[in-house]
Amino acid sequence: MSDPTAATPGLPPTLPSEKYKRKLSNYLLDKKLQLRYVLIVTLLSGVIASALGFLIYQQNRAASESIEQDLKVLMQKTTQDGFQEEIASDLESGDRALVYKMGLIGLGLVMILSLYLVIMTHRVAGPLFKMGIYFEQMAEGKLGKVTPLREGDLLQDFFAIFKAMHEAVRTRAGADADAMEAAVRKLRASPAGGKLAGELDALERHVAELRSQLTA
Amino acid sequence: MASESNHKRQWRNLLLNKGYQLRFTLVMVGLSTALMAGLGFWVMRVADETTTVSKSSIMGTPCPAIPSLSESAGSAGSADPVDAESPPAPGAKVPMNLDEPAPAPAPAPAPAAPGSAGSADAGDKAAGDTEEPGRPPRRKIEVNLDPMEMPPQAPKVATLPADYAAAVVKHWTCRLKIDAAKRSLEHGRDRILWVLIGTGLLLVLGLAVYGIKMTHKVAGPLFKVSLYLKKMRDGRFDKVYNLRKGDQLLDFYEHFRHAHAGVVKMQQADIERVQAVIAAAEAAGAGDEPAVGELRDLLARKEKSIE
Repeated sequence: MSDPTAATPGLPPTLPSEKYKRKLSNYLLDKKLQLRYVLIVTLLSGVIASALGFLIYQQNRAASESIEQDLKVLMQKTTQDGFQEEIASDLESGDRALVYKMGLIGLGLVMILSLYLVIMTHRVAGPLFKMGIYFEQMAEGKLGKVTPLREGDLLQDFFAIFKAMHEAVRTRAGADADAMEAAVRKLRASPAGGKLAGELDALERHVAELRSQLTA
Repeated sequence: MASESNHKRQWRNLLLNKGYQLRFTLVMVGLSTALMAGLGFWVMRVADETTTVSKSSIMGTPCPAIPSLSESAGSAGSADPVDAESPPAPGAKVPMNLDEPAPAPAPAPAPAAPGSAGSADAGDKAAGDTEEPGRPPRRKIEVNLDPMEMPPQAPKVATLPADYAAAVVKHWTCRLKIDAAKRSLEHGRDRILWVLIGTGLLLVLGLAVYGIKMTHKVAGPLFKVSLYLKKMRDGRFDKVYNLRKGDQLLDFYEHFRHAHAGVVKMQQADIERVQAVIAAAEAAGAGDEPAVGELRDLLARKEKSIE
């Protein structure tokens, strides 16, 4: 059986079994689940960065205004009119630079937390996506082999339970097919075998279909 | 399983899948703590620098001086506008309240005029007593100490300049304004620190609680599905109930339901085929065949599995 995780989301798996690598384009496997975390954490960290940025700007602006006030007093005694404007402009651009710096830091905070959340939720969404594909195959009666999760994936315990169930259903289906096949063989060999030919043929086809599904 | 459909969330059940939930939450909390610590360090450094600059600037703001109080002997006069708090400059003249002007430097001793009052004569006489031969005669000075009487000191009167009160108010208003500005700056710096601590704690605790709650909404359906999976592993395909309100992984749960339905359908297909063969065998008089008995056992097991 091909590795379901190698398939494009929404389409049946068609690629042969190969070791699946994480791709940047596949990081948002379950957008609803993943983006919900990202959005809330982004909002929270954004509010915190904005509050701190506002406070630090206020403090810096107070310092600048104080210096500008002193300069005004000093400049009243001199004739260098342009100097005061120059200093005030420098201080204002310094304040603006602080706002930009704080904005960049806030953006960095949001980006790092969001990136971390996308990666972490991907490690949850990945196994869920893989199991989802196996579930859909089971719905069609296909009980092929289950390949292990990728390294670093979360929900390993849950996947182990799923794998045990899948193996048990598959083994039991194989055992049932064997039992039905044996019964068909015995009944064909019995004196009433001729009268049961039609039903036995149907059961045989059913068993053959079951076996094909076990290797699908 | 029927009772699970109305299962309510409980705090003690928040950690359904400890490994997944704690790993997810703790790493998120650890990362946000590290980021907040870095941000806090930078913010406090900027706040400290800004506060220091502002305080230095404010401390250098000049305040109008208070005029000094002058003292005069009974007569009003204008006071010197010297700051009372500053010491007098070295060499400055300190006004003295004396009746007579300060004595002028003593003139060089004038030669005694001939015939002047007897001090010189007396000196001459005294010198004559110890005259030595061959030496010029010594001059004698006679000091006449007359009794002196100190005149009574005139009372000292402090004189206030006309704008003294206004100047004092102006001076202290300025000083108080400076102190208030300093306090405001320190308050602003402290406020940043407390907001930083508060928001840091809010972020860390918020993410911890949010992480546990949100992962619980994922772990809940996973827990429920794992119970069904264990039953399926044991060959029991019970009815599958809906998730609780607010649970996530609805799509995943739908996939699971499809799988469950698919397996049940497989069992039902087996049952139909086996039932048909058993019925045909019984009709053909082969109901006692051991193979038919085996099929009956198989049928009974399969029917029980989907009850």
